[in-house]
Amino acid sequence: MAKELIKGNYAIAQAALNAGCECYFGYPITPQTEIGEYLSLKMPEAGLAYVSAESEIAAINMVLGACSTGARAMTTSSSCAVSLMQEALSYAASDELPVVLVNVMRAGPGLGSIYPAQGDYYQSVYGGGNGDYRMVVYAPSNVQECIELTYKTFYTAHKYRTPVILLADGVLGQMMEPAEFTQYSYPPVDNSSWALCGANGRAGKKICSYGPDEAKHIQHVKDLFEKYKLIAEREVMYEEYMTDDADFLLVGFGSIARHLKASVKVLRTKGIKAGMFRPITLFPFPEKRLNELADRCREVMTVEMNMGQMYTDVRLAVNGKTKTTLLNLRPAGEWMSVEEITEAVEKSTEKIYAGI
Amino acid sequence: MLVFETPKSFKKDFKYSFCKGCDHGVAIRLIAELIDEMGLKGNTILTTSIGCSVTMYDFLDLDCIEAPHGRAMAVATGVKRAKPDKFVLTYQGDGDFASIGLAESMHAALRGENVTAICINNTTYGMTGGQLGPTTLMGQVTTTSPNGRNREYYGYPIRIAEQIALCDGTAYSARVSLDTVPNIKKAKAAIKKAFEVQLKGLGTGFVEILSTCPTNWNMTPEQAHERVRNEMMKVFPPGIYKDVTEE
Amino acid sequence: MEENFIFAGFGGQGVLLAGKILANAFMLEGKNVTWYPCYGAEMRGGTVNCEIVVSNDEVSSVHKKDTDFAIVLNQLSFDKFISRVKAGGTIIANSSLVKILKPRSDIKYIFAPITEMAQKLGEIKTANIVALGVLASACHQLTTESLHKALEYVLPAHRKYLLPLNLEALKSGFDALAVAG
Repeated sequence: MAKELIKGNYAIAQAALNAGCECYFGYPITPQTEIGEYLSLKMPEAGLAYVSAESEIAAINMVLGACSTGARAMTTSSSCAVSLMQEALSYAASDELPVVLVNVMRAGPGLGSIYPAQGDYYQSVYGGGNGDYRMVVYAPSNVQECIELTYKTFYTAHKYRTPVILLADGVLGQMMEPAEFTQYSYPPVDNSSWALCGANGRAGKKICSYGPDEAKHIQHVKDLFEKYKLIAEREVMYEEYMTDDADFLLVGFGSIARHLKASVKVLRTKGIKAGMFRPITLFPFPEKRLNELADRCREVMTVEMNMGQMYTDVRLAVNGKTKTTLLNLRPAGEWMSVEEITEAVEKSTEKIYAGI
Repeated sequence: MLVFETPKSFKKDFKYSFCKGCDHGVAIRLIAELIDEMGLKGNTILTTSIGCSVTMYDFLDLDCIEAPHGRAMAVATGVKRAKPDKFVLTYQGDGDFASIGLAESMHAALRGENVTAICINNTTYGMTGGQLGPTTLMGQVTTTSPNGRNREYYGYPIRIAEQIALCDGTAYSARVSLDTVPNIKKAKAAIKKAFEVQLKGLGTGFVEILSTCPTNWNMTPEQAHERVRNEMMKVFPPGIYKDVTEE
Repeated sequence: MEENFIFAGFGGQGVLLAGKILANAFMLEGKNVTWYPCYGAEMRGGTVNCEIVVSNDEVSSVHKKDTDFAIVLNQLSFDKFISRVKAGGTIIANSSLVKILKPRSDIKYIFAPITEMAQKLGEIKTANIVALGVLASACHQLTTESLHKALEYVLPAHRKYLLPLNLEALKSGFDALAVAG
């Protein structure tokens, strides 16, 4: 199939259909509303379930219900409304349900506004729900990745029976660029051992998180974390750009990576050996590779549109091997420009070379 | 001649954990009998809720998902939309259905989801030890209304069956009680109707069951049933509030 | 090499669509391109705008501080975006609705009566396509042929009958400068 000019939100919506999404439940919120609009047309045409939920709370719980039958189900939302879903996500993690959630981030805290931001890193990676659980988080950086990672989100959710977040942002949701709907090529996942379909000629199955038996509950939580460990071993994804000889590393996630790459190119023309490292999975975080890269870097600069959230994980990964800094001129709105990033690196390298 | 047997939809050797005189046991039995009689066991997906009602999945041998507090009708919506050929049932308390989950309950009924909801109304939050809930009667003393429910502090109780009957997607809405054998029979007939409207695809089926909570009411089972008759029925009159099959 | 374009006007002038056609034209030429709109509440007041960035390499940024071209269809957009034009850049303004003033001396100005030209074609809604034609005459890496292809590509089947009118609008815009002389 040839490339076509696709808006990020539509890319996610059509990719979900390609991935076999059978049920969509959602509530409008800018900047992701086009996803629901698109699916409200396409899903009934295809005999699939589309429900305009009364709230994001209802929407995510409908996803829980649909997922309990093994169906591929999804909801999409943005930042402040994703906050409303945290209880259900905690349940989904404990219930081991393959929930797919797309968050097209806008500015917070509170209502914030509709302009783009990356302020939901903590919410996604460390979770806003109660108890011990993790969620796999994919962060696309362009429209093509919105497609590929939507596929991956569905597959990972079902393969590991765990909620997975596709963490996009307002820039990505609203922008268009040429992209191609590749084939969804992941193998089918057998869910017959757990999916509810009625206790016909067998004992009833129960999907629940209630743990009145303390020992069993403790074991359940431990089992969940064994699963997360397995995911961390197998599913880490990242992108490197000009890191081979880099002694100054820019680290960023999502759509701002475009700016980081452009900045690396400019810095290279100025004799600064910059490189870029972009975690694609925010959980599991590519800490091992980042730690290796830190060996030969004078500085690892995290660039993100928030007050320094991924910076926490970067510092943990670098683990004191080299200098870590944060560039976050604004927590939301206009993405930091290539010029701003380049200038910050130049300033920092002046200090490095001056031995300050 | 077989006089009495446990419905097949119960788990073998199950043992109720409810308090003595609590009507949950009777309500769940009626549901189990109907699932047997209507041949629904192999096709049912049950959505339980939070509160004493959550333990239902420990007694019934059915496929079941536990919804977060108040969200049973949203979860049931998800189940039904994903698998429209399944028989989908929620079992909730009044706090779950009509307080924290009122939005989910009413909107499911407004959408006319083809599911059946059974709501136990015992005028209190039972599991947490008897606090004021959405159905607590005026004047009723609870652990969070120590001087009795009054308008100034607490406002008024909700009449659930009447409210659900007002939703255009509701096919059947009734209120029943379990205080006498004839009323138990009526209750079973109402639940059956609420099952049937789902099976016929007519919309949401709903039954509110007036129930006892002797422990939190500090009453004997007999006194508790007298309270259902003498106090609750005055505010929450039993009856059929909507039945599209009769229209 | 990277070049960017801001299309701006008031709601209904079709600037978002014009931007999409422009982006499609570049895509069909095999270039890297992005389209990014102002979105949400901003659309309900003031001006509507979108930005197109085209590059032979990966696009560095979808939304830049300054622009090589600003195509403005009303006065508000002229006032808002004139400061964003790069030194040496070009502003194309719809003189039917924009006063012919040149407040900066370091940029190029193209004034064309775009709304009137569209009205002459019998369809005021073609103003955005006329504007694209004007742009094609001023931008080296854009040809009317690629815009023609993009129009064909963008118009859905049930709107294909509008193609001749739109091609006329494109030509009218492209010839505007020559006519103006």
